[in-house]
Amino acid sequence: MRTLVPFLLVLLAVYRSAAQQTLDEKVQNLIDLTSRTSVVKFNMDKWKNLVRMQPRNYSMVVMFTALSPGVNCPICKPAYEEFMIVANSHRYTSSESDRRKVFFGIVDYEDAPQIFQQMNLNTAPILYHFGQKHQGSKKKPEQMDFQRQGFDADAIGRFVADQTEVHIRVIRPPNYTAPVVIALFVSLLLGMLYLKRNSLDFLLNRTMWGCVCLAITFIFMSGQMWNHIRGPPFMINNPQTKEPSFIHGSTQFQLIAETYIVAVLYGLIALGFIFVNEAADMTKDKKKKEKNPNSILSLISVPANTLAIIGLVFICIFFSFLLSVFRSKYRGYPYSFLFA
Amino acid sequence: MTSTASSRSSRVGATTLLTIVILALAWFVGFASRLFAIVRFESIIHEFDPWFNYRATHHMVQHGFYKFLNWFDERAWYPLGRIVGGTVYPGLMVTSGLIHWILDSLNFHVHIREVCVFLAPTFSGLTAIATYFLTKELWSPGAGLFAACFIAISPGYTSRSVAGSYDNEGIAIFALQFTYFLWVKSLKTGSIMWASMCALSYFYMVSAWGGYVFIINLIPLHALALIIMGRYSSRLFVSYTSFYCLATILSMQVPFVGFQPVRTSEHMPAFGVFGILQIVALMHYARNRITRQQFMTLFVGGLTILGGLAIVVYFALVWGGYVAPFSGRFYSLWDTGYAKIHIPIIASVSEHQPTTWVSFFFDLHITAAVFPVGLWYCIKQVNDERVFIILYAVSAVYFAGVMVRLMLTLTPAVCVLAGIGFSYTFEKYLKDEETKERASSTASNAKDEKLYDKAAKSVKSKNTSDGEEAQVSSNVRTIIAIILVIFLLMFVVHATYVTSNAYSHPSVVLQSSTQNGDRIIMDDFREAYHWLRENTPEDARVMSWWDYGYQIAGMANRTTLVDNNTWNNSHIALVGKAMSSNESAAYEIMTELDVDYILVIFGGVIGYSGDDINKFLWMVRIAQGEHPKDIREENYFTASGEYSTGAGASETMLNCLMYKMSYYRFGETRVGYNHQNGYDRTRGYEIGKKDITLEYIEEAYTTENWLVRIYKRKKLPNRPVVKETTIPIKGKKVSQGKNKKGVIRSAKA
Repeated sequence: MRTLVPFLLVLLAVYRSAAQQTLDEKVQNLIDLTSRTSVVKFNMDKWKNLVRMQPRNYSMVVMFTALSPGVNCPICKPAYEEFMIVANSHRYTSSESDRRKVFFGIVDYEDAPQIFQQMNLNTAPILYHFGQKHQGSKKKPEQMDFQRQGFDADAIGRFVADQTEVHIRVIRPPNYTAPVVIALFVSLLLGMLYLKRNSLDFLLNRTMWGCVCLAITFIFMSGQMWNHIRGPPFMINNPQTKEPSFIHGSTQFQLIAETYIVAVLYGLIALGFIFVNEAADMTKDKKKKEKNPNSILSLISVPANTLAIIGLVFICIFFSFLLSVFRSKYRGYPYSFLFA
Repeated sequence: MTSTASSRSSRVGATTLLTIVILALAWFVGFASRLFAIVRFESIIHEFDPWFNYRATHHMVQHGFYKFLNWFDERAWYPLGRIVGGTVYPGLMVTSGLIHWILDSLNFHVHIREVCVFLAPTFSGLTAIATYFLTKELWSPGAGLFAACFIAISPGYTSRSVAGSYDNEGIAIFALQFTYFLWVKSLKTGSIMWASMCALSYFYMVSAWGGYVFIINLIPLHALALIIMGRYSSRLFVSYTSFYCLATILSMQVPFVGFQPVRTSEHMPAFGVFGILQIVALMHYARNRITRQQFMTLFVGGLTILGGLAIVVYFALVWGGYVAPFSGRFYSLWDTGYAKIHIPIIASVSEHQPTTWVSFFFDLHITAAVFPVGLWYCIKQVNDERVFIILYAVSAVYFAGVMVRLMLTLTPAVCVLAGIGFSYTFEKYLKDEETKERASSTASNAKDEKLYDKAAKSVKSKNTSDGEEAQVSSNVRTIIAIILVIFLLMFVVHATYVTSNAYSHPSVVLQSSTQNGDRIIMDDFREAYHWLRENTPEDARVMSWWDYGYQIAGMANRTTLVDNNTWNNSHIALVGKAMSSNESAAYEIMTELDVDYILVIFGGVIGYSGDDINKFLWMVRIAQGEHPKDIREENYFTASGEYSTGAGASETMLNCLMYKMSYYRFGETRVGYNHQNGYDRTRGYEIGKKDITLEYIEEAYTTENWLVRIYKRKKLPNRPVVKETTIPIKGKKVSQGKNKKGVIRSAKA
């Protein structure tokens, strides 16, 4: 027993020194860790050793995130992907000396909730830069402002360049999904054409072409391109009353729901006009029925008068509805029709 | 219209008279509705770009056309200067110069400014007439009249052509419509004469506006579509080939365009279609002369080789640098994310934002809802020339969705098709039965044959013989006609409202109203420019942000450093750096650039939101792009990361030149009874620092509402005065007051 205590002490000392690696060992350790994957996945041990322990002559860029599906964090996944793009670019394109200066790491809440507690964090994702630290200097880690800078790979690269003066050329792996989808679509189309090669009449079908062109105009006139570029929410809930609102009250913004409403309204007005015109053509249609069964209205036998009136009602109701939607956005517009 | 019993010639006469009267009225209404700004304010040029156009026109009228083409403007982009003759589309200046010259030789002595102010409204009438002819070729004269009336007042077009907005678009839309009319005409007739006229009109368009690229891609697209649809004809061959050859040569005569038509990718599709057309023509020629077997081998083999070769040659030329690849602006039209990443200067301009549905409705109103109907019937009753309007409408609606400013190219298509839609309906509903019966039975059908298209004709001849129960009764007809007229009236009211309220503000003169409804006019801009003109030396250099460059040159006639022709980004960045550095660093830059006066726009007193403090972040960003070492955007934010000049503003913000110049002595004033001293009305809070002292510049002039503030750069002192307490060290100059501590602290860290 008496001999055992000093022995244990010696053992402890050996263990301690092993844990307190020298700088070179730490860097070597990190390089080993990042030789296969480009980011270090931290647990408490590594965290203490490589990030918290001083001294450090390298920078750690660490993303705190929660990737497990149980945690409700919709932006963690995209942020993580962007972060990985930067880390991979760093691994493959940066010079040897640069790679010894900057390392990328990740802390998942599931793996190490203690680190989150230690850092006093309760949101994710967060990107910290732990700069070179020598004994004694107490500098807080720099946080990247996702609100302002965004979290795409270029912004992260810029943040790293700002902080460490290591410039990473961000190389995005090319996204093959769009070309593949287009190629599939085109081949499907061509295949269908090939299968139907004996009856290509539908290509000459004007109704079909008309519908395609009209759909294009309705899509663009209802501002779907704006939606595509700006990505607004489908609808918003009023924070006070919790009532959902489909129409945004400003001319500079729009919700997806309201653009659908507008597209449908435009379509119904155009349909109304077409009804009115077809009603006037009714008599012609009757005679031509045998010859030209293609006409849309030849199938339904509605009296011309009724059809004309239906068309007119369509035009009036839906145009005034469109006007009132417009008025609800454009404050102070004085004119309305039928309803306010 | 008139009595059916009358003779044919008088009917034609009456129709012609009616057409002329309607077109004249459309011209007049279009002209008159664009005069709101002039009636309310006075006959002045609006906005920014028009001031440059006006100045260039003035120069041309004074010195002659050739001097103008060789004009080197040393008053802009000091000290670089700008070659004006080779970097503008001269069509606008030449047009107004010509009008001025004609009026002069008729002894109507009008100042060139009046010509410039009234040019766009005048051309709106010509646009209406060109639209009438185009629609007449596409559908019928009745539809043409509708379309002419629509385009005369349509807000989408008015927005760019009110009196005083003297810009390229004002005349370009006329040239656009007229070129399309001549193209459709030449395609219909297949005559070289019409094709040559089309090329001439295209030449005018090229000389007037960069949007000509739209034409040179749309017409080949039309030709290609016709070939694919199997509608090739010798008429198409004649008109396209003669148009393409002449148009390319003519467009190269414009100095600004030069060799672009043969050296840029934007023009290559036109050339490709030209080649395809030759092959197709050869095919048609050979088909009757060789056997089917030979024909197949010849063309299937030959076409693949030729097609492959053409693609290889094109890429080789692009790779070799002989043909420029597509420009960034072009990519940004197709790949909507492109501009945001690669060309921030395009993305930052508000005109290049995507279009909300509200602006579509705002600019088009009922015509937006009816134009799909016209499109529908054009597709249903398609022929060679209607393919053109279909392609035009579909492509224009796409472009208008991507960029707000391309709404302008959509508006003519919408007006044409809405005209067709309305006239299609009215043709059926305005004629009452008896007239129709008589019309079909009498021989005077000839007139209708001439005026109306096949579809309309067949309706009428069949209608009369059929049973009554299938007809739309006359009451319903009347109701529908009346209600449609009501819609048209609503469009007129809407167009007037929009023109009057949204598009008739000169932006050089501001207007507000008191609580009693009295109008207050704030003329600060002109006051300041006039002061510069009268009180500064002829060759004084005025530094301001680039937005005001054209106005300073145009109104104050002084030399500017940067202006709205943003061709040199690093020069702009230098000005941005001067504005966002502290006083001493800015002084160095200003000394290097020989600046005498600095002009800032400040809206804090009256609550004008378009002032320089609100634009300041762009200055910082652009400066940071070129000088990342000296200017950092985050230094200008508060601790919580907001942009503010209030209490929490950062030290850098409070010491930058822009802040000091905007708020100099502002802390001593009070904008209202219930506000603190130094309350900024635009931002809505009290400013961060009120005791501002200026060391290197001095206040020269501030206008009535503080909107424009002009400062003078002090000359370097004869010998530097060493202050008692502090010895200024170069680069870390210490200024007075509170900022002393901050500077030292940050220097230590």
